[in-house]
Amino acid sequence: MKRLEIDNIEVEVEPGTTLLEAARKINVNIPTLCYEEELSIFGGCRLCVVEVNGGELLKPACATEADDGMIVKTHSPRVREVRQTLFELIIASHDISCELNCLTCTRQSSCELRVVAEDIGISRMRLNPIYRGLEKDFSSHSIVREPNKCITCDRCIRKCEEIQGIGIFANSARGPETEVTTFQDKGMGNVECTNCGQCIISCPTGALHEVYHSEGVWDALYDENKHVVVQTAPAVRVAIAEPFGAEPGTVATGQLVSALKRLGFDGVFDTNFTAYLTIMEEGTEVVKRVTENDNLPVLTSCSPGWIKFIEHFYPDYLKNLSTAKSPQQMFGALAKTYYAEQAGVDPEDIVVVSIMPCTAKKFESRRPEMNGDVDFVLTTREAGMMIKSAGINICDLPEENYDNLMGVSSGAGDIFAASGGVMEAALRSAYYLITGEELEDIDIKPVRGLTGLKKAEVPINEDLTLKVGVAHGLSNARKMMELIKEGEEFHFVEFMACPGGCIGGGGQPIRADMTSEEALQKRLEGVYSIDSSKKMRRSHENPMIQKLYDEFLGKPGSHKAHKLLHTEYTARGLN
Amino acid sequence: MKKSNDIFLETVHNIQQTYGYIPEREINQLAEKFDQPRAKIYGAIKFYSMLYTEPTGKYIIRICDSLSCHLKDSHDLLLAVQDYLGLEDGETSSDQLFTLEIVECLGHCGEGPVMMVNDKMYTELTKGKALEILQDCK
Repeated sequence: MKRLEIDNIEVEVEPGTTLLEAARKINVNIPTLCYEEELSIFGGCRLCVVEVNGGELLKPACATEADDGMIVKTHSPRVREVRQTLFELIIASHDISCELNCLTCTRQSSCELRVVAEDIGISRMRLNPIYRGLEKDFSSHSIVREPNKCITCDRCIRKCEEIQGIGIFANSARGPETEVTTFQDKGMGNVECTNCGQCIISCPTGALHEVYHSEGVWDALYDENKHVVVQTAPAVRVAIAEPFGAEPGTVATGQLVSALKRLGFDGVFDTNFTAYLTIMEEGTEVVKRVTENDNLPVLTSCSPGWIKFIEHFYPDYLKNLSTAKSPQQMFGALAKTYYAEQAGVDPEDIVVVSIMPCTAKKFESRRPEMNGDVDFVLTTREAGMMIKSAGINICDLPEENYDNLMGVSSGAGDIFAASGGVMEAALRSAYYLITGEELEDIDIKPVRGLTGLKKAEVPINEDLTLKVGVAHGLSNARKMMELIKEGEEFHFVEFMACPGGCIGGGGQPIRADMTSEEALQKRLEGVYSIDSSKKMRRSHENPMIQKLYDEFLGKPGSHKAHKLLHTEYTARGLN
Repeated sequence: MKKSNDIFLETVHNIQQTYGYIPEREINQLAEKFDQPRAKIYGAIKFYSMLYTEPTGKYIIRICDSLSCHLKDSHDLLLAVQDYLGLEDGETSSDQLFTLEIVECLGHCGEGPVMMVNDKMYTELTKGKALEILQDCK
């Protein structure tokens, strides 16, 4: 153990602990911008400099290991002076203008620069901001980059490379000319970006944000000739209250429905219903392919970030993907066919909006093979902004129920929000489909939780034990694909692009006040609390799904189901 | 196939010597060879101002405009060269003969103003001398 003194407080830490970690242990907050717990140390912003043993040279606390006998001052006059100056320099490189662009910034209410300014107690700003005149990157359907706001903290680069295992960003040039860019300056829409949006979550400024769809939604809502329906994804309900001051994991399903009705949507539906349908279609496919030993393992297809990943990096395995569309797209397809019929509305007049924890869903909705079934995709953040700007505080609203038909959900849909959820829901139904009996022990715990790679064996009958795998976060997805390539046997593997699954999606609220790990854990608890409180926890028990098959689709895997609910993939490689 | 990173620069130099720049397909291959994301390879190349990812002219003209040269009227020299070539900083002529670059210190601060033509250094230049040198570039 190392003993040292930080701000006159004795502290004992494990060897290898940095001064930043040691200070946090005794609740001394040293401001940082380029530091992020789960990423490697960059040491670029220098805001965390501290005085060590009264030495002339200040040391970055994030990159300095604690040692015996150190006397550390984290907020001495000299440190505070240097820190203020450093912050002034950083701000001068960030695009803050007299046009009050802070007010229109995507990070208006979650700006890390403001938090740090407060932590430092900044009292002066002597430098004029330097406007670099760099072009915005609008090449992607999902994500916009505004390089003028970038402070080159490197966090997006490290997040993409270290956590997601891809690395679409790089620093180009040196010194004040340094610019974060993509391969050959092609733009995010023209490289191997999976649109997962994890870079947005890591960005301390508004240099990265989703492609906004809210204007289109407002227009549709106020167009009397349009019939506007909205679906809300499972992971949204445990996060939508956050922009209104609630803790992550606060379950606000009924309040969300209520808010959306007030906004003027003609129908408010639960994506869980089609999540459910995905399970029926995918479950049927799994059973068929396992029985016929056809291109195993079956890989799940509901995470659009994962789909783009496999299209770029493992195109040889596209035949292993389940052909089932994601719940979002199944909803779109049904809304413009079955629902239009039932409601007596011309499909041309129906506008389908999704609220998703996800930026990749925007890209998915624009895939040509999806026929424009989903017109607009809002992230949880955008939905929060729309609700706020309609003068509504979601926390004050009474609970309302989803509209019927697509509204009755089983708990099996809710757990889609978390890593392992699709797998668990599919197993509950696959068991029934194969054995004709209900799975007694309904919680399949080995596939739950935040471990990156999970494996389980589920005995179905005497002859068959299903070997399943779960991977979340694209680095883990790559590890899992390598295992499969090396010949490890699985029947069915679930993949989610984002760490933690959809609850950690790139479209979820950004917390300036806690780490993303903490927020994830709380949202996870929210999701499983919904599931265990539901009576109907198996997809195949949902009466509405039965009705839909009886009246419209025939049976799972039927010709009509295939036409509407299944899709195909594109081998992209690295071009 | 993973290669040790210490031969990276040498490899990149060889490619540039072959093609005059680092073509996209070569970056893709480097990414595979060194087991790194191609954006990272691209970033490493962009770090060095004398490595190129686009084709350049046959002659790369570099004029220093750092402090010492600036005090020796490098700006005047630059205007004359720009006028002669009809090129702005970073541009390549349509006949692919010249690329012009305004650069930071070339390490001959006592002998300014200086200009480089490909690998050759010219010091204590006047406008006239510079234009003569350029006229010989064919």
